[in-house]
Amino acid sequence: MSRSGVARTIDHDEFDPIGTLALVVLYFVVLTVMWLFTYFVEFLGHGPTVVGLLPLG
Amino acid sequence: MTRLFVDEYPGQARLVRAAFLNSFVALAIGATFGLIQAFHRTDIYRFLPSPDYYTVLTGHGVFLVISFVIFFLVGLFHWAITDSLGQRPSRAWLSWGWYGLMSLGTLIIAASILGGFMEEPPEVLGAPLSADVLFTFYAPLQANPLFYLGLIVFFAGTWLAGADWFRTWLTWKGEHPGKRIPLPAFMVLTTMIMWYLGSIGVIVSLVAFLVPWSFEVIPGVNPLLTRTLFWFFGHMVVYFWVLPAYLLWYNVLPTLSGGRLFSDPLARVVFILFVLLSTPVGIHHQYMDPGIAEGFKFVAMTNTMFLLLPSLLTAFTVVASMEHGARQRGGAGTFGWIRALPWKDPAFTGMALAGAVFAFGGFTGIVNAGMNINYLVHNTLWIPGHIHTQVGTATALSLMAGSYWLVPQLTGNRLVGRRIALFQVVTWFLGIVFMTNAMYRSGLFGVPRRTAEPQYSFEYDVGIGSMGELNAQIALGGTLLFVATVLFLGVMLLTVLNRDSEPLVDGTIPPALSGPEDSPRILDNLKLWAAIAIVLLVLAYALPLASVIQGGGLHGQDIRPYPVVLVDAVQHAGTILGVPIH
Amino acid sequence: MRIHTYEKLWLAGSFVLIVGFIVTVTYGSVGLGIDMIGEEADGVSPDEISSDERFSEPRVEQVGENEYEVYVVAMTFIFQPDPIEVPANSEVTFYVTSRDVIHGFEVPGTNINSMAIPGQVAELTVEFDEPGTYGVICNEYCGPQHHTMEGSLVVTPEWEFSQTELEVDAPESVAQGDEIDLTATVSNGLLETHESTVNVTIGSQTTEQSITVDGESSENVSVTVDSDELGPGEHDWTVSVDDQEESGTITVGNETDTTESVPASVGTETVSVTMNPADPTRASRGVGYP
Repeated sequence: MSRSGVARTIDHDEFDPIGTLALVVLYFVVLTVMWLFTYFVEFLGHGPTVVGLLPLG
Repeated sequence: MTRLFVDEYPGQARLVRAAFLNSFVALAIGATFGLIQAFHRTDIYRFLPSPDYYTVLTGHGVFLVISFVIFFLVGLFHWAITDSLGQRPSRAWLSWGWYGLMSLGTLIIAASILGGFMEEPPEVLGAPLSADVLFTFYAPLQANPLFYLGLIVFFAGTWLAGADWFRTWLTWKGEHPGKRIPLPAFMVLTTMIMWYLGSIGVIVSLVAFLVPWSFEVIPGVNPLLTRTLFWFFGHMVVYFWVLPAYLLWYNVLPTLSGGRLFSDPLARVVFILFVLLSTPVGIHHQYMDPGIAEGFKFVAMTNTMFLLLPSLLTAFTVVASMEHGARQRGGAGTFGWIRALPWKDPAFTGMALAGAVFAFGGFTGIVNAGMNINYLVHNTLWIPGHIHTQVGTATALSLMAGSYWLVPQLTGNRLVGRRIALFQVVTWFLGIVFMTNAMYRSGLFGVPRRTAEPQYSFEYDVGIGSMGELNAQIALGGTLLFVATVLFLGVMLLTVLNRDSEPLVDGTIPPALSGPEDSPRILDNLKLWAAIAIVLLVLAYALPLASVIQGGGLHGQDIRPYPVVLVDAVQHAGTILGVPIH
Repeated sequence: MRIHTYEKLWLAGSFVLIVGFIVTVTYGSVGLGIDMIGEEADGVSPDEISSDERFSEPRVEQVGENEYEVYVVAMTFIFQPDPIEVPANSEVTFYVTSRDVIHGFEVPGTNINSMAIPGQVAELTVEFDEPGTYGVICNEYCGPQHHTMEGSLVVTPEWEFSQTELEVDAPESVAQGDEIDLTATVSNGLLETHESTVNVTIGSQTTEQSITVDGESSENVSVTVDSDELGPGEHDWTVSVDDQEESGTITVGNETDTTESVPASVGTETVSVTMNPADPTRASRGVGYP
């Protein structure tokens, strides 16, 4: 059943995975944005946070 | 029209079916427990006393991640080794031997856990039959000795299984000198090397400390030491759970998509990276532990971040393989090809959705790995959110989807209810989205994991939304997941009974676009990778373990066992007096 | 090895991500000073807790200007001390250990989060800028009543924060005509001098006295009332200072069995001067008024 829908054969050198590249670039952006949000907004925004013994300003 | 595994290797098919049967029975019990938890925690419906919640929770963890996943894994690996090498194991008794040991171990563990439901558990081996210690069994919480013994028997079974597959490979190697190891077999062998190295930690903890301690041969344990030994094993094991899904994504998903694997060499590199990096990272589960220096935690963090590499590479290779299939099926455009994928095939859709969930779960794993940001999420509901997207979906849903493809080949029966199966995988996906979304959000404002009643006298600072809405999502998600489990088990049962039929599935796996010939032979040098992995392990763990032993001793100081068995007595004394029962 | 150009690009992107994550975390550590719980604090075994100078008395202790140390003992299924009270605008170092099994120490809604492992001591320093009330929960399963393990953390406004303790020494009864001497001992647990007001009420009479107590010491406040002004019978008294309050009853009779008033000193046990309610008539028994 799995092969029945195949309409043409594409070998390695003809195959240009541009869609995959687009998806992983999107993933890169999403990861970066979510990471920055989680670290700087969710984490650093919800103090108090454990700190070293810094002199109080 | 097709070659069927059951026709070529009827004896091996029987063993794989037996392993899957154990796996699915464990899934049924574990999923039922999960449903109970979803309603108990959220206080939507409670019919058990809260102390029994922890018996349920222990069972949910152990039956699902030990029994369900690992029995499926050994079945899948046995199929993969036999099928890809074209080689039967040389000794049937050895194969049935590991299956028997694993089954026996599971029964012993199950008895010790389920005994916890009894009003007055019987005395077994000098202690009441109970093991409410959760999946992590942190000492000095103490289970009945049977719990630890059962785990040892189970581990012995898995080691023997690995030995069986290595023997099969060595026989094959002798008959095929100079040939590259077929990819599925390569994945099985590397995964087992990882398992051997990583499980040493927990086996030492069980054999040298917990078992003698539970028999009162040694007076105490160093809780930080047994905990560190557990996590020596504990992060490797999550990859052990995920790698069967990887095996399916690399070998089966491309062909289901109508294409071929994009790169065999990178698949090998990915598995080698798991052998090298999945164990020297366990300390990232102990960022909040006193007694472990910050420096060791930083090393664990960098190692863990580099462990992202094999998963990020997998994302590319697997998606490119799917894209190849979609374009061969006539798909076009930068994103338009996605529509050309076989979305009506439950095996394909299940694995694709599992992969999508894994990609998001990967992000939450990065947060867990991020050392100081761990203060935000440590031991909150965020963590089980992560676990349920990863092992609970990337693995579980891939294994269910894989079953739709593999079980017909193991039984010679046609899959019953393809549409129900498709509905099943989508239901699971929706269930996990609801449940983990609520878990992640709850974790961010501090709702703890592993508790029967996360309702306290203070109010959580929920932010957007409300506690009621989040609880409703958890209960709804848990219900959908339970329904999906029932549907899956129903489809499996009907398929097994569907005797007078011909499977529609083709078990042939087409060669990769870029095959093993494109990669250096050194990738197949398993001894080399095992040796490097050992060096990395020693580098990562020698100093921390030495420091933990130096700090707290091998057997701890005056630390008494805390048997979690006398539920009623402990409940009263603990609440009223605030003192532990010794 | 043949690797597609796009995949090489992705490999490079992956490295950028990985290094980026590590850099962010390192910035948090080095740039912002976020410290990990480590192995700095000496361990204490559960049996030594009751004789350990840090943990035998779980408490909040001032150690410097705006600097406090909190010694927390976790055990099934409570935290000590409870509540934990610290002032705002302070730097507080928690030392957390466990008396029995592995517990957690989490303040939901903040980034205060630690394991409490028997034998080990977790050290974590936190700055509290704003007043507020928080829950403290155990976030590691510790036994059948784990879900009941809860404490609280109160960050009080700086000006309201004190570590004042009050002891009052007062006679239970005096003969008609004698003077009533009541002595309140106010001790200040803080390092700095503490200024406050002691309020004393005896019967219908009220007096107020400002006191200044040096750091880590105590002051006595004595109040003398002529019993004739109160008249015979029972008279309630109350002494309060900061958030502390003591109260009792004095009986004025015409007997001579007065209690000797012993000046209190720091370190003496608090004497509860409440009369035995089961015997309320004791003072009026005996000889009647002439």
